[in-house]
Amino acid sequence: MLGRFLARRLAMLLASLLVASFVIFAALYAAPGNPVAALSGGRSLPAASLAVLEQRYHLNDPFFVQYWYWLSGALHGNLGISITLRENVSTLIASRIWTTAGLVAYASVLIVIFGIGLGVLSGLRRGLVDTGTLLLTAISAAIPGFVAAIVLILVFAVDLGWFPALGNGTGFVGNLQHLTLPAVALAISSLAIVARVTRAAVRTESGREHVQTAVSRGIPARLLIRRHVLRNAAIPITTITGITIASLIALDAVIETAFSLNGLGAYLVQAAESKDLAVVQGISLVLVTAFVVVNLIVDLLYAVLDPRVTLGSRAQ
Amino acid sequence: MTRPRRWVPIAAAVLALALAACGRSAGSAGSTAGNVSPTKGLTATTAAGTKPVASVVWAVYRDVNSLDPIFAFDYPENTADSLMCESLLRQSPSGALQPGLATVTHPSSTTAVYTLRPGVKFWDGHPVTPADVVYSLNRAADAKLGGFYPLVFQRVKSIAATGSNQVTITLKQPDYWLDGELASMPGIVIEKSVAQQQGKNYGTPAGKIMCSGPYMLKSWTPGVGVVAVRNPHYWNTAVRPQVQQITLKGVPDNNTLTSGLLTGAINGAYPGGLSTLNQLRASKAVRVTQGPGWSSDLFIVSNFKGVLGSVKVRQALSLAVNRQSIINSVYKGAALLPRWIANPGTFGYGGQVFAKAYDSSPVLTQNLAQAKKLVSQAGATGKTITIGMSSQLSDIAAVAGAYSSAAQAIGLKAKLHSVSAQNYINFFTDPKARAGVDGFLTINYGDYADPAALLSTIVLPGGSQNYDNYNDPKTTALLEQARGTADPGQRAALVAQAEQLAVKNLPWIPNVQPVSVLITSKNLTGAVASFAYMFAPWADSLGGTG
Repeated sequence: MLGRFLARRLAMLLASLLVASFVIFAALYAAPGNPVAALSGGRSLPAASLAVLEQRYHLNDPFFVQYWYWLSGALHGNLGISITLRENVSTLIASRIWTTAGLVAYASVLIVIFGIGLGVLSGLRRGLVDTGTLLLTAISAAIPGFVAAIVLILVFAVDLGWFPALGNGTGFVGNLQHLTLPAVALAISSLAIVARVTRAAVRTESGREHVQTAVSRGIPARLLIRRHVLRNAAIPITTITGITIASLIALDAVIETAFSLNGLGAYLVQAAESKDLAVVQGISLVLVTAFVVVNLIVDLLYAVLDPRVTLGSRAQ
Repeated sequence: MTRPRRWVPIAAAVLALALAACGRSAGSAGSTAGNVSPTKGLTATTAAGTKPVASVVWAVYRDVNSLDPIFAFDYPENTADSLMCESLLRQSPSGALQPGLATVTHPSSTTAVYTLRPGVKFWDGHPVTPADVVYSLNRAADAKLGGFYPLVFQRVKSIAATGSNQVTITLKQPDYWLDGELASMPGIVIEKSVAQQQGKNYGTPAGKIMCSGPYMLKSWTPGVGVVAVRNPHYWNTAVRPQVQQITLKGVPDNNTLTSGLLTGAINGAYPGGLSTLNQLRASKAVRVTQGPGWSSDLFIVSNFKGVLGSVKVRQALSLAVNRQSIINSVYKGAALLPRWIANPGTFGYGGQVFAKAYDSSPVLTQNLAQAKKLVSQAGATGKTITIGMSSQLSDIAAVAGAYSSAAQAIGLKAKLHSVSAQNYINFFTDPKARAGVDGFLTINYGDYADPAALLSTIVLPGGSQNYDNYNDPKTTALLEQARGTADPGQRAALVAQAEQLAVKNLPWIPNVQPVSVLITSKNLTGAVASFAYMFAPWADSLGGTG
């Protein structure tokens, strides 16, 4: 059962990767400008130099031929060579992937702990806590990551000097210190959304008949919340958390740029600007894979959290 | 050889809205209202550092892409190469040509002899030989390698080793511009055996490089930075760098750069038009120094068949544009009102001749009444000019806006043709992108301190930036004559005449002349403050303040 499910998901992943790679390649191909222009910074090159560069990067070949060059290379595990850096794309990605992974993981932890935590708290406790959370999440949900980045740098790096303003840092503690502000900036609006959805789910479950019945039968609050409220609220919470974390992968480009982090997102933007096709393709594949894997984990969690859900069952 | 500055498309350009500007510190050379003197208030060098410093982080506007000098054309690559590598001749901070790895003599107008200085050696201890020089120059001249500098060697017939420490260049035609180029990226000497062994990997993150400069490459991780350390065996014992390690880090975002400088995470930078300059001037953590600039902010006339084909309309437009507002809003004071197309910082030779001619040329200031008259004389009232721009590039958009209101104020109509930040570069490279566009904007600079370096690419037939076959026989003749004139004073006189003609005919319209901006932590000093940092070692005297 699980094996078949995973096999099907793997096939879906490969199909998504193929489609995504084609669409991205085509989009970048269709966009005006060419990599040589980006390379030469607009200075005029002698015809011979131009011809050499165009030949080296197959720039004059028809679209499908170029795509085929890339695809056949990728199938052999060769993601190609960056035009601007003249180095293997896989090496370039490998040196950056941990920054992005670390940042997204850090932000996810913040979202899970504070988002779900606040949501549960305000869902269960009406009054000041609830109002406070509502107000806080209303504000933070409206703060885009790049604004949060500016404010955080200004307050915590420039004025207070608690955290470094930019860069990756070295060693685990250094990394953690350098990634704290970026992770907060990345998490802040998603955190609010997760808190809101969690609160609503907890409220709905608390109002259910079986919960009310349990309350009237005098079942201890702690047991009640754990068994009857949270267990049932877990599905919507997992869904929203999963979607939010997956979306962080796309959002982190802005944050990485703002904090001058050496990650995949900032590099993707940079590569797309210089039309460095192989790099854009390589990073996109990594991001698409990460997105699909996060969704897969969410689906697996459904089955764990709710026995009524069977893996791979089609929507009724 | 000249090229447009890459307009940096920043993903988070919106960030620029933050970090409000404050006052500026007294004594800074920021107050440039009406300041058009070539050197007033500008310093080419800062006081040499006296204390050793362990490590310095220096920001460039994006990651370095290559350490191979034949692929260096833009700020990050030039800053990295000039830190570590040396060219045959050297440009001093004031722009004057000096001996670099070699001294030069000109036995005849078509021969140049370069004699290597005694004791010159690479980082690995191997001596710099004529074979290395011949190899390096031929490499830069070879179009098949895809480098950016073959056109520089257009007039070169042969490059040959003619002695144990001597290289002779024979020319097809006299060319006194070549020495300037050989004091820049195309003149950088690398070690032949290392370059041959590295092949295509030379200057890439996977490969290594071998130069002779005061700093040597320690490591290069794309995205993290280029790390250079002091060369303990530097051949020129008169130079003793104080900084042990310099990391060049790509910081594309202006606000990140600003907060990095303010917190000390970044210790220095040569930023372009920086929106937060006033905030930095007011800060106690950093020092802002303004030096002579060699770049010019210009309006490129790319279509002489339209309304701007009339010299009167071009003159009118030049008279109508509010340059002071550009200096204030885009440059935060770090620019001068122009008199010529060239920046007065480029007067690297013939100083007196240039200064006199420059001072006698009028400052380009606003005169709407006269501009209107010119437009009606040309019969152009009500006609439309189309300006290529990108609303995503705030500096470009601001200057384009200034031109748009200038055109409207004098009875023309202006249309802004906006493209995305990434595609802005296509105006320079793709005739199709330029179709229907009368002009667009650039910051441009030559490879060496000579007003002719930029002008020749704009006005000479076949010039690399002559976009619509501009041809004024008089200007062409003056520049061709200058190129073949040995005496610097006479050459300067010819170039000055060409500049004076050009500012009347306006093949391009000068907007403002940016000064070179150097920002360092308060406790650092000694970096070159002029635009020479792009072409020659800039950290030789960098160190801590006493």
